[in-house]
Amino acid sequence: MKYLGFILANLGRNKLRSALTGGAIMLAVVLVCLLLTMPAGLNAILDHAASNTRISVHNKAGIVYAMPYAFTRKVRQVDGVAAAVSSTWFGGAFEEAGRVTFPNFAVEVEHIGAVYPDYPIAAEQLADFQRYRDGAIVGRQTMRKYGWRIGQRVTLRSTVWPVTLDFRIVGEIANDRAPHFWFNREYLDQALKAMGRPGLTIAGMIWVRAADPNRVNAIMREIDDMSRNSEAETACETEKSFLSNFFGSLQGFVTIILIVTALVALCIVFIAANTASMGVRERAGEIAVLKAIGFGRRVIFGTLLAEAAALSVVAGGTGVLVTIGLTKLLQTFATWNDTLGPLGSFIVTVPVLVDGIFLSVFVGMLAGVVPSYGAARKPVVESLHEVF
Amino acid sequence: MPLPLSYSLRNLRARPARSVMTAGVIALVVIACSLFLGLISSLKRTVVSCGDPRNLVVMRKGSDNDGSSQLSLEAFQALRFFDGIARDAEDQPLASPELVVQPFFRTRGGGRENVLVRGVEPVALLVHDSVRISAGRMFTPSAHEAVVGRGVRGRYAGAELGNELEFGRGRWKVVGIFDAGGSSFESEVWVDVRELANDAKRVFPYSGLRLRVASPAELEPLMRRIDDDPRYALDAQRETDYYAKQSESANTLYILVIGIAVLAGIGAGFGASNTMYAAVQARTAEIGTLRALGFSRTTILSAFEIEAIALSAVGFLIGAAASIGLSILIGYAMGGVAFGAATFTTNVVTLRVGVSDLLGALLLSIVIGIGGGFGPAWRAARMRPIEALRKA
Amino acid sequence: MDAPSTAGAAPPIIVIRNVSRRYVRGVDDVHALENVSLSIPTGHFVAFMGPSGSGKSTLLNLVSGIDRPNQGDVMVAGAALNDLTEDDLAHWRARHVGLIFQFFNLIPVLTARDNVALPLLLTHLSKAERRERAETALRVVGLDERMDHYPRTLSGGEQQRVAIARAIVTDPDLIVADEPTGDLDARNAEAILGLLRQLKHDFGKTVIMVTHDPRALRFVDDAYHLDKGILLEGEDAERAAAAILMAAGGGAAAAGARLGR
Repeated sequence: MKYLGFILANLGRNKLRSALTGGAIMLAVVLVCLLLTMPAGLNAILDHAASNTRISVHNKAGIVYAMPYAFTRKVRQVDGVAAAVSSTWFGGAFEEAGRVTFPNFAVEVEHIGAVYPDYPIAAEQLADFQRYRDGAIVGRQTMRKYGWRIGQRVTLRSTVWPVTLDFRIVGEIANDRAPHFWFNREYLDQALKAMGRPGLTIAGMIWVRAADPNRVNAIMREIDDMSRNSEAETACETEKSFLSNFFGSLQGFVTIILIVTALVALCIVFIAANTASMGVRERAGEIAVLKAIGFGRRVIFGTLLAEAAALSVVAGGTGVLVTIGLTKLLQTFATWNDTLGPLGSFIVTVPVLVDGIFLSVFVGMLAGVVPSYGAARKPVVESLHEVF
Repeated sequence: MPLPLSYSLRNLRARPARSVMTAGVIALVVIACSLFLGLISSLKRTVVSCGDPRNLVVMRKGSDNDGSSQLSLEAFQALRFFDGIARDAEDQPLASPELVVQPFFRTRGGGRENVLVRGVEPVALLVHDSVRISAGRMFTPSAHEAVVGRGVRGRYAGAELGNELEFGRGRWKVVGIFDAGGSSFESEVWVDVRELANDAKRVFPYSGLRLRVASPAELEPLMRRIDDDPRYALDAQRETDYYAKQSESANTLYILVIGIAVLAGIGAGFGASNTMYAAVQARTAEIGTLRALGFSRTTILSAFEIEAIALSAVGFLIGAAASIGLSILIGYAMGGVAFGAATFTTNVVTLRVGVSDLLGALLLSIVIGIGGGFGPAWRAARMRPIEALRKA
Repeated sequence: MDAPSTAGAAPPIIVIRNVSRRYVRGVDDVHALENVSLSIPTGHFVAFMGPSGSGKSTLLNLVSGIDRPNQGDVMVAGAALNDLTEDDLAHWRARHVGLIFQFFNLIPVLTARDNVALPLLLTHLSKAERRERAETALRVVGLDERMDHYPRTLSGGEQQRVAIARAIVTDPDLIVADEPTGDLDARNAEAILGLLRQLKHDFGKTVIMVTHDPRALRFVDDAYHLDKGILLEGEDAERAAAAILMAAGGGAAAAGARLGR
């Protein structure tokens, strides 16, 4: 549009001020985008990691109340169940880390692949998993974190079971959202029996894959009915529901952080708006002359607003880029130190970026509206009186 | 010759709107920083304050937490008579065997949370003497009763005196509410240890043991005696150390929150800088005059920096007061703030903004002030008198 | 200097009848203009003169469509300005009036050429056409060497010439100037006044100027004198003119002797 040159020239009038204002808006956008990535990141994890045909079966009383291992067989026989696998928390700590830093489970090696076909694991690796009793399949994220390779031996000390086990990594889950460490339940079973205990008679959880997503509810009902009056009454839920419950009640914490940060971002915007109006006030004389020459109120309002919008779009765009860069940086930090692990979960998704850009445009318009409107609306003669 | 302090301060008063807005944005950053730091400090404090320096925590070797440890009846019976353990009036050892389970509880809003249920015997009240029954009474063993902490009460369906709580495999009658000095014990439910073991079908009757030492001198020897006992693979540590370790998982949150505060601070700094640059521009003539009169560049620089610092100080004071007020308000409005993911069970925490949190915020506001004010102050100082006066 | 002639000439470009303008300034009720009537012939170079607060600027504003009277009619180039809304007036001004001011004439972040082309943004001309017209206008005022300069690198006189170029670039019927020489030294002032006269002479523009400058009397066709919102006529006008000339000194007085009204 023909006024573009005029608008840009005005922004260049006081470059430092434009830069500082732009910088403030950029930061406000970065803040808000980072915050939006928290729930967005969780949703993304849920969308990617959770399949719509997978069901979690656990004891109704709680995950720490396990189910008898034999129940797995019964579950497998339910109509519509394509595959089922029992999975028991090992709570193993990798020596160097000193505490549990990735989820590790004892699973049934013959069935795990069928329940997680969406996790990319090479067929030969799954075969090796069944062949070698001390084999382990590990998620790529965890492999990278510790620099492990296929064939490497790894020792985990259980914080839940009185054993320390030595494994050989035979496969990798080629996906960055599944940091799991899976090994053969027989191995744990043997180790326990060797200590004079009864062995691994329980299943912490049972994961089921339904052949048809429409049958999921029916399957869940049937499994719960089956267990109703037994020693271990079950509660089935979809994988998505299970994961979202698992992320826990951060509700209050998140609410406070979101509200306060939003307020801060808002105020930064307010300051930006004030700076914009300072600029407009300084130009009162010029604006009066423009109005006198014949530039109507709408045109003047429009150019002033466009100026604010242009600055904030650029600032917002930069903010979005900075957010992406920051989250990548955070993901790298997350691998340095286990305390920082959760930092890696700031995952920027496209919707968040789009939100960021819209926000900046909105901010620009908002910041620009009041001073622009005020300057444009005054009748010419008043503006001239004020200035001359 | 230095400019009097009043020069800087009076200039702030001359443009009240501008000064208030800049101080205001700094105040907001201070509020954000203090509240956030306060949230996490409160979480840590809640966990750490469970630890009594006179107590020991005994768990299976290799366990890092109550819930994943197991202790046999035999081990308990052997340990309770070790030397160094304090005794009560009837000469019974203050040794509390405990079983920790984390069942699902249904919240009043229909959600699901893991809550820490601790199976205890009446001696637990003596070993954890910060725990006091504030309403009702302690449960009667074998009666399927429960006492709940202050943070639990009202949060879950049935968590009221006289009502029935549903968890595990049965229903438990709430007969008492307890206080624990604001520690995370208040987010727990206590029941009879035998009934809990039964309900959870535990092979081992206990997770661990809490001991009160007879005197500080006995602490080390007792710890060693337990660690070295060849019959049971057990590990003893100070209760304070145990809870300090548990609270470490909140450290990530510190980093997250400080990151947000710093970003917000930079944004505010840009805003403050902008405002100060405008002020310098508006006072060009004045600065030229001062320089012509003979005030040095350093003097001008300091004068403007002082203005910036004064603004941040005002911002800090407002922000500090507001954040303390807000934390009280949040306390009334939301009760406690629940943290669920940092520690596996839900911890209901009372938000309190403490001195260290405010110090952190103070640091941030000073940095904003000095940083944001530096550019403009430098520009003011470097102005050449002739040019400045000419522009006027 | 030409004597004003009305016989056989085009109808007057400006006709003002019984115009009054009052407004409130703080606690005062200001009677800027009281019952002023005049008509200005097309193609004349005219000055409104008078002391501070005489209403001359108000009169200028009314004539150029920047302000409205409380009472009376204003007809400019056949248009009844009272009938137009604020936005219509803006449109009208863009097409029919070229404006020159004492201060803030130019946009500091635009070059001379871009400043001159500014009013053309309100038209439908292409970028090339706008550029061409601006350059032509700058040539008329003698600034073709300085087209790419920013206002801050131009002298006061040059800046006013750029303003004049901007005022003529849309080829308006009426050129209006508020104290155009107020901020200039003697040499530049004379040059500007000469340029304005040239516009009237070579291009047939009607030029109306508000000024304090006694030198103006040498360049204009007519001078209207105002005092406290009233248009002075006959003897009062002559006395006012004489007073201006005397205050300015001898040379101006001699020049003013040639003024007939």
